[in-house]
Amino acid sequence: MNAVSQARPPDPARPQRLDVAGLSKTFGSMRALSDVHLQVAHGELHGLVGQNGCGKSTLVKILTGVYSPDPGASVTVDGLRLDLPIRPLRQRAAGVSVVHQNLGLVDDLTVWENVRLGHYRALRLSRRINRREEQEAAERVLARLGRALEAGQKVGSLSAQDRAVVAIARAVQDHPAGSGLIIFDESTRALGRSARARFFRTVRSLVEEGTSVLLISHQLEEIVDVTDRVTVLRDGAVIEAGLLTREVDETSLTRMMLGRHLVTHSRRESHAQDQPVASVRGLAVGAVTGLDLEVRRGEVLGMTGLIGSGFVEAAEALTGARTARAGTLSVHGRDLALDRRRGSTKEFVRAGVAFVPERRLEAGVAGELTVSDNLTLPRVSRRGGRLRIGAAWQAEETAAMIAKLDIRPPDPHAPVHTLSGGNQQKVLLAKWLADVPHLLVLHEPTQAVDVGARHDIIEAIRAAARDGCAVVIASIDPTDLAVLCDRVMVFRGGQVTRELSGDLEQDAIVRAVFDDGTRSQGEEQAD
Amino acid sequence: MDVTRQKDLDTPPPAPRAAHDAKPVSASARAGHVASRYAVIGVWAAMIAVYTVAEPGLFLTEGTFQTIFGSQQSLVFLTMALLCTICVGEFVDLSVPATFGFSATILPVLVVDHGWGVWPAAAVAVLGAITVGVVNGLLVVVVGVNTIVATLGMSTFLGGISLWMSHLNTVSGLPTGFGKFALYPVAGLPISFFYGVALVSGFAYVLAFTPLGRHIRFVGANREVSRLSGIHVNRIRLGSFVASSAMCGVGAIIAVAALGGYNPTTSDTLLLPTFASVFLGTAVLQPGRFNPIGTFVGIYFLETGILGLQLLGLEAWVSSVFYGGVLIAAVTIATVLRRRST
Repeated sequence: MNAVSQARPPDPARPQRLDVAGLSKTFGSMRALSDVHLQVAHGELHGLVGQNGCGKSTLVKILTGVYSPDPGASVTVDGLRLDLPIRPLRQRAAGVSVVHQNLGLVDDLTVWENVRLGHYRALRLSRRINRREEQEAAERVLARLGRALEAGQKVGSLSAQDRAVVAIARAVQDHPAGSGLIIFDESTRALGRSARARFFRTVRSLVEEGTSVLLISHQLEEIVDVTDRVTVLRDGAVIEAGLLTREVDETSLTRMMLGRHLVTHSRRESHAQDQPVASVRGLAVGAVTGLDLEVRRGEVLGMTGLIGSGFVEAAEALTGARTARAGTLSVHGRDLALDRRRGSTKEFVRAGVAFVPERRLEAGVAGELTVSDNLTLPRVSRRGGRLRIGAAWQAEETAAMIAKLDIRPPDPHAPVHTLSGGNQQKVLLAKWLADVPHLLVLHEPTQAVDVGARHDIIEAIRAAARDGCAVVIASIDPTDLAVLCDRVMVFRGGQVTRELSGDLEQDAIVRAVFDDGTRSQGEEQAD
Repeated sequence: MDVTRQKDLDTPPPAPRAAHDAKPVSASARAGHVASRYAVIGVWAAMIAVYTVAEPGLFLTEGTFQTIFGSQQSLVFLTMALLCTICVGEFVDLSVPATFGFSATILPVLVVDHGWGVWPAAAVAVLGAITVGVVNGLLVVVVGVNTIVATLGMSTFLGGISLWMSHLNTVSGLPTGFGKFALYPVAGLPISFFYGVALVSGFAYVLAFTPLGRHIRFVGANREVSRLSGIHVNRIRLGSFVASSAMCGVGAIIAVAALGGYNPTTSDTLLLPTFASVFLGTAVLQPGRFNPIGTFVGIYFLETGILGLQLLGLEAWVSSVFYGGVLIAAVTIATVLRRRST
């Protein structure tokens, strides 16, 4: 991909194509974006990076008019200020277009139908679509992109790279050559490595003509390779604006994206003891086959890898959340078949296995119910009588966990969805930690939480380990793994290819995940 | 590993803790909350006042009181049956009135046309209803058929079967002693009113205070969260269909006892009042949430309104207009309340 990399500094004399200033967005009590400034110059390929939950998608949704920003923001395109919230037609007239994650193509329709979608002009009398004219319009745009596709063929039959061209054609058709701004929102996810290189050659040729591009991507490698400048978002705020890409590399970008993690935590001594708590034999799930592992009392085991490498599926199978093809889990001598389909994870919960899933509002806590209801849920049958749950123990347990994890606001009767993401995560953690589990499995435990909550969550996980809990953390976040784990298993293609232990450096974890040979097609770093 | 050396990179994001702080709840917001809880009860009182003034000596009488509170037992059982499945997140079981009608037809047909004893016939009628619930539950929970489609089909199917069993006629002629089971007077009201009170209180208690009720509410709120917390989600969903149909069956027995027979063509007219009361219940006591006591209040609220209008001399079409209008208003209010709370 280096072939297309031509990092150029922006020309300060020229006006900005896109100038976003003072942009904030609040959802309930959550601040998703905070005073964001972003400038994209004419003829520039500008990268936008940040962790999941940092506010990238909120920003795109504001720029495309899905959300309206908090008052006080301004969005200017070519010196022209847009009214907020942005209306889609106004956005298009200003020359801003977006290519979404899945490219937004309809496979059953033809190339020209996909390109012209939303632009159809009807014949005056019959109100029919003027097929020939539309087809020619589509062909003209495709020719401009240097890819003369047959406009009448179905998009479903195209190669990944040509599909991307169709999506780009749709985005650029309104702009005269050399104008406009295209936002690529994770558009390259569906592309393989070689298709990606050609995709960026097309994008680069547009940029050469003077079109501006805002490229949003999790692939730091491609950001570093193809962009001119890069802006880093973290926790809804711009951490670095318009850094020259040639002055950064993947590692330094990672640090900027996660930077907050690095100071607040350092590795502490291990609590691992010799006594094994949980062992897995012959686990087969997803890409994983024949996995054996053992977690000891007080040990924190990390599982990581690229998406599709199987580490997430393996972790979920340990908890009964996902049915495996084969395998047994033994917790304190109690055997559980991992390949049995079950109506719920009851047997696992009884055996002392707790699972903190990644999608907390979909799988972790019920947002419309209260903190107390959510927190006590796994124990209402055991601690309550059949005819009465009993209020006293619930109040006591909830108060104790609110204090222990510093859940705010400290109101046991607040519906969970009214809490910030970090506090929701604490409720989810408290739900399982109120009863010290034997095996605690967490999936991305600090994803999309703020600094303070992250600190509290990490402390709580450490405290659980100190209390003798065996902990498994499935995560792509190398800082979490480095700070918490005694041992990290790195997955690739369903196998554990590396096992790191002792003093863990996050750079070493990143290298172990990425550097084993070249990155294979279709395998991407997780969201 | 000590990572403090990277301190220069740590620019703390602006005031992340600000988001943690409790939102101040203003006095007016709290007053609004209380108002929304008791608004329907307030409107009810106002309605009684208006009717009392409009119909002096006619509305505010013991007879009116007895009519309102002595006539809605079927609806109490039907609404609780509908609530059973709504509480576990099944929107919307349309077969509730038809299941009721099915049981209510089986009983007199067995007794009058086939010479069965009343109690064995009643047992068969309730079992018949439970069978319907099991089938509904299997279709929706196990097979995964859309609830509305499955229960709409079931409703039409049962309606037809009931008409066939009754030969399109009213079946009556039950032994008079059986009527006492529903009509025995207690404190001026038929005993069946108190069956309804017992059912509603029991249901409300189960939901509020028992582990089963907590599980039901979580299954209704989020199935995946429930499954991962060790709750047998499908068992609870299936159970709710069975409990729902059992309530229909028992309610039908009580209704038949009170009426002395049953006309299956009347089942359809129960659909709208059932839904209107259940949705109106979401605007009472626990705004935005389906709840048994709110529904109970809703039933008598609606009946008060209709009876008053009828006493004013308005005709039969009034009830349709009133039920329909209140259903729309209640759902709108509940939706707005729910949106405001999120």
